[in-house]
Amino acid sequence: MLALRVNGIDREVSASPDTPLLYVLRNDLALNGPRYGCGLGECGACSVLIDGVARRSCIVTVGAVAGHAVVTLEGLGTRERPHPVQRAFIEAQAAQCGYCMNGMIVGTVALLARCARPTREQIRDALAHNLCRCGAHVEILRAVELAIAQSATDPARS
Amino acid sequence: MTTRASGARTRAHFREAQGVLLVSREPPPPPGRIPGYPTMVGANPAEGPEILVAVWDDGSVTALNGHVDLGTGIRTALGQVVAEELDVPFAAVHVVLGHTASAPNQGATIASSTLQIHAAPLRDAAALARGWLRAAAAQRFRCAEAAVTLRDGIAARADAAAPGIPLGELVAGQHVELFLSGPVTVKAPADYSVVGTSVPRVDMAAKALGEAVFVHDVRVPQMLHGRVIRPPYAGLDVGAFVGHCLESFERDSIAHIDGIVEVVRIHDFLGVVAEREEDAQRAVHELVVHWRAFTPRSDLADVAGAVRANPSTRRELKVRGDVDAALAGAAQRLTRTYLWPYQMHASIGPSCAVADWRDGSLTVWSGTQNPHVLRAELATLMGLPDVAVDVVRLEAAGCYGRNCADDVTADAALLSRAVGRPVRVQLTREQEHAWDPKGSAQLMEIDGGLDAQGAAIAYDYRSSQPSNGAPTLALLLTRTIDPVPDVFHTGDRTAVPPYEYPNLRVAVHDMPPILRSAWIRGVSALPNSFAHECYVDELAAAAGVDPIEYRLRLLEDERAIDLVRATAREAGWRPRTQPQEGGADGDVLKGQGFAYARYFHSRFPGFGAAWAAWVAEVEVNRVTGEVHVRRVVVGQDAGTMINPEGVRHQVHGNVIQTTSRSLLESVETTKGEGTVAAREWGAYPILSFRHVPVIETVLLPRPGEPALGVGESASVPGTAAIANAIYDATGVRLRNPPFTPEVVRAALGATAPTVPPPPLPAPPAVPSAAPGWRRKGLAALAGSALLGALAVATSLVLPRPAMLPAGAAGGDFGAPLIERGRLVAASGNCMGCHTTADGAAYAGGRALDTPFGTIYTTNITPDRETGIGAWSLPAFVRAMREGVSRDGHRLYPAFPYPSFTLMSDDDLLALYAYLMALPPVRAQAPTTQLAFPYGARSLMGLWNALYVAPGPYVADPARSAQWNRGAYLVEGAGHCGACHTPRGALGAEDRGGRYLAGAFVEGWEAPSLVGGGAGPVPWTEAQLYAYLREGSSREHGAAVGPMAEVVGALRALPDADIAAMAHYLASLGPGLDDAEAAALAQRAVDASRARDATMRDGAQRMFEASCGGCHHDGAHPAIHGANLPLALNSSLHSAHPDNLVRVILEGVATPAEGVGGMPAFADSLSDDQIARLAAYMRQRFAPGAPAWAEVVAAVKRVRLAAARP
Repeated sequence: MLALRVNGIDREVSASPDTPLLYVLRNDLALNGPRYGCGLGECGACSVLIDGVARRSCIVTVGAVAGHAVVTLEGLGTRERPHPVQRAFIEAQAAQCGYCMNGMIVGTVALLARCARPTREQIRDALAHNLCRCGAHVEILRAVELAIAQSATDPARS
Repeated sequence: MTTRASGARTRAHFREAQGVLLVSREPPPPPGRIPGYPTMVGANPAEGPEILVAVWDDGSVTALNGHVDLGTGIRTALGQVVAEELDVPFAAVHVVLGHTASAPNQGATIASSTLQIHAAPLRDAAALARGWLRAAAAQRFRCAEAAVTLRDGIAARADAAAPGIPLGELVAGQHVELFLSGPVTVKAPADYSVVGTSVPRVDMAAKALGEAVFVHDVRVPQMLHGRVIRPPYAGLDVGAFVGHCLESFERDSIAHIDGIVEVVRIHDFLGVVAEREEDAQRAVHELVVHWRAFTPRSDLADVAGAVRANPSTRRELKVRGDVDAALAGAAQRLTRTYLWPYQMHASIGPSCAVADWRDGSLTVWSGTQNPHVLRAELATLMGLPDVAVDVVRLEAAGCYGRNCADDVTADAALLSRAVGRPVRVQLTREQEHAWDPKGSAQLMEIDGGLDAQGAAIAYDYRSSQPSNGAPTLALLLTRTIDPVPDVFHTGDRTAVPPYEYPNLRVAVHDMPPILRSAWIRGVSALPNSFAHECYVDELAAAAGVDPIEYRLRLLEDERAIDLVRATAREAGWRPRTQPQEGGADGDVLKGQGFAYARYFHSRFPGFGAAWAAWVAEVEVNRVTGEVHVRRVVVGQDAGTMINPEGVRHQVHGNVIQTTSRSLLESVETTKGEGTVAAREWGAYPILSFRHVPVIETVLLPRPGEPALGVGESASVPGTAAIANAIYDATGVRLRNPPFTPEVVRAALGATAPTVPPPPLPAPPAVPSAAPGWRRKGLAALAGSALLGALAVATSLVLPRPAMLPAGAAGGDFGAPLIERGRLVAASGNCMGCHTTADGAAYAGGRALDTPFGTIYTTNITPDRETGIGAWSLPAFVRAMREGVSRDGHRLYPAFPYPSFTLMSDDDLLALYAYLMALPPVRAQAPTTQLAFPYGARSLMGLWNALYVAPGPYVADPARSAQWNRGAYLVEGAGHCGACHTPRGALGAEDRGGRYLAGAFVEGWEAPSLVGGGAGPVPWTEAQLYAYLREGSSREHGAAVGPMAEVVGALRALPDADIAAMAHYLASLGPGLDDAEAAALAQRAVDASRARDATMRDGAQRMFEASCGGCHHDGAHPAIHGANLPLALNSSLHSAHPDNLVRVILEGVATPAEGVGGMPAFADSLSDDQIARLAAYMRQRFAPGAPAWAEVVAAVKRVRLAAARP
């Protein structure tokens, strides 16, 4: 059994330590947020926060996260209490198909954690390796700016 | 919230329910077979009338539509249509899309027709229900129907003489079924209150919160995980070889993987089912499959040539006037050819499906775009009646046409039937890229001319598009249907230009497919409009007229004229009669281009969707060839907009996706094979956030006009607008998208400048390219006269005596000695060689690949039978110092006793104590059997006499204690020379002039440790310490491969020992101080950055998309690993590409620092792609070094080395 801490809860799974974290999150822990996109760390659909940094769970093994805190989209917020970034994405309608949305939200949460007021350039750079095929970029950028503005005007929301 | 509307799952549930008002219709007559048109499937009469709307007694409403939401928001928009017509709250409407057990058959979700065409029955059904409800309310109120108002789900008397009644109450206790047959009175648009408002998307919160919404999220009890293994003819679906290439597979090759349930093979269909997903995935990589060679029909190196050579039938769509006569009389004639590339849908999520075969019926959970056609195909595949198949449609990643969603559903069905349990199949990224039915290439040829006044007088248009009918793959792979190329009429969308050319002839050439293809956004219309709109721009330029003014002269459609004018005005169109008036900023030329199209979808003459126009502003770097689309003003007239924000989002998506297709996208095929070579995002990059244009939308209000499809329209003029803007900026016409920097450079006649890198210090001498192990084989020795000479030295070949077995294994050595022995073992990484990947520590059996054959390491646990439990200390010391086993046979120097001989007696005793204290493991290592002459172990005696200088180590009194300690560790127990010193013909380290000068071991280059190393910055003591202690150096990179293992073993050593090794190794180099080294490092990084700006081609894009997420210069956040500058990486500065290639192929499973490794690209990139990537990286990151020669050969060589166990 492997121990890991996901969304603040200690979990145990029986998987080989070299199993990609993504499979364990989806199949053993029934989480939907991180999504398989490429398995090569290229697209960002599987992003999760590991100790607050947005990482690609398809190329992190479950064995490597022992002792680290993993947070998925589900761990950010709920229907009743969405995370401010989730709320901003919903308000800005920042998706078409929504398959990339996990990575965009997780990437934004990580960005705002290290830089509360990023410039547009910094936002684009931060999300440059999160791929979206539908072309929801305009709405996504708007969502990030909305999240920044809301946290600036209402720190309680952040 | 569960409502009755969301509870009904099948037609029977609806029909048997009480407390419901249903509106149904007789299914439309079967469409029949339209020549040259892909199969459409009629409704099955056995399923009875189609249910469109159900109003339930709890006030909820079900709306059923046969189309599906591909991420465009039609679930929301259709809900608005029904809520509007029924006057119920929007939230009361539950929309069911595409579920074959309940939804009507309305064909595939294509041609942007959902709202334009297929919403009408839903609206009419809602209107019919509303009429019934109103009448029922009037009866309750005992008033005239006209006196009843319906609002927000409440029926009330207009005069408010009685309290309102919720609509649900009107159906309580009843089952009412209405039939939609004739025309129905619907609401006047002026009365709309829900339609025309930007209701938020109903699916957004669930997606933002990670709720289960996608087909990928389906989990059913007992579900297994499947993967398929696709044939090598990637992306080809016609030809006699299809379905006939799988010779055999080796079941045993995956016997070591736990939880494999079944390997399923039906002709060329091959799949693996496992309990766990990662095991199925692993089986895909490790199952040994033997495929027959196949003969492709066409090499796609020349796409235009392949299309021209494809047999075709001409079909004239429209003829006006006398084109030939007009052409003959033209004052100026323009003959132009335009070529559209193969492109892919490139869904972000590879397709996935779950199937459950049970008792002769099949349920599939699918992301299909055409559920009813898929149901018919699955029925054919499985030999079932269609009603025994239930297609439950769930959302998938956006597809913009037909991706692999149907294919994977059929795959899952076959695997579920084979194992009798539900199976989830997830295609890999590589499979989705390779087998995605591509958007077809298209060749457009135009002959036309102007009269003396510049008026366009003739337009002769020919378009050739290989068909895109792509049968579902499993049907072909299982030979259920034959791989016979079918010809469809799919090239005719928007083939007729919008301009009133007085003499016009439009013909399409229908032809069979080349690559497997299916419809993609703007199918054939985007290429056709690209040609029309570039050509009219060329006419305007030839006539010396502003291109918008010229178009307006040729347009008669009033809505088109309005849109063109409105878009131009909003964009600040700058009228011009010649290019290059937009100015420049240094090397960056600026231009503005226009295009207009109304998308006509479906088979000619088809239906007109929304009108669209673009003004694109571009910046073209005339040196690098980069095109940046800076701003797009896009106008659209979509009639009534049901959800204006939804329309705007579609416009944005169309603009961004089309910009990506125009600038970047073309499917790479394999030379000589014509198969798809692009299997991940590096080989098929799409537009990133960095390059998204500013988009301004001009949505013309057309209240009351019919709603028109917007899913594709705004794409259609895009590529032409960009090409016309590039012309405006540069004066050069580009007719073959994508407009990549290399295409633009070639068109401009520019060659990428080479910024000379700042001078670097002369690199340390690279070791001679005569690597030892691996490169020299038997041939090097076979004719050697040496052997004869040696043979006479018989005294040296006499066997050595066996030593008596020790008494009891081990001994009482005491914990301090054992602990010291543990450190000695760590310093030599004994465990590394004496342990297999999944074996017990020190139990031996690891195969060492040497030029002389495979040598297996021995069990060095204290097991008496199979290990060294019977070895006395003297026997152990003899082995370590002289290379003689306890029984007297000679050991091969793959066991580095020529180094170990330097170890001190005390260390050997400690090591012995440690090993004897290990738990004994009974494990017989395989016997090493080398071929003649190496099999004769006795000859090793001669070898020892020649090459082994007996120890122990003698300290150099002229050096410090630290230096001597370092030398002792490096040369003795550490046996660094075993890998880092080149070996001679007889496998001995060359300890003369080339000691530690670099060598090859097991396909890895162990770089030189002398003279400062191969990189641009000589090793300093501090960096050596960091590298040996932490596994990475910011001036050299991270330890990978065997060296990573060594660093892992060294973790046990105290800092002082690591410092001593670093001190000693630094003394072999030039002795830079840290500041000098840091300055050199900075210069190397700067040089590579300067170089980067000048290199813009496919390899650069591949690097950026495949590698750039993690390997970058700090422009975005760190994702994984240390992100050490590649400009300093030793592998990139080596004379050999092997280590770089090896890391690309195998990745780095356990990185030296941080969480997350580097993925292996062996199955994602071809040899050719890796070679291009490596060549690019060499040029960019080692700008002073010569290009590597024969990189493709190196990739093949390294693949072989990496494949060895």
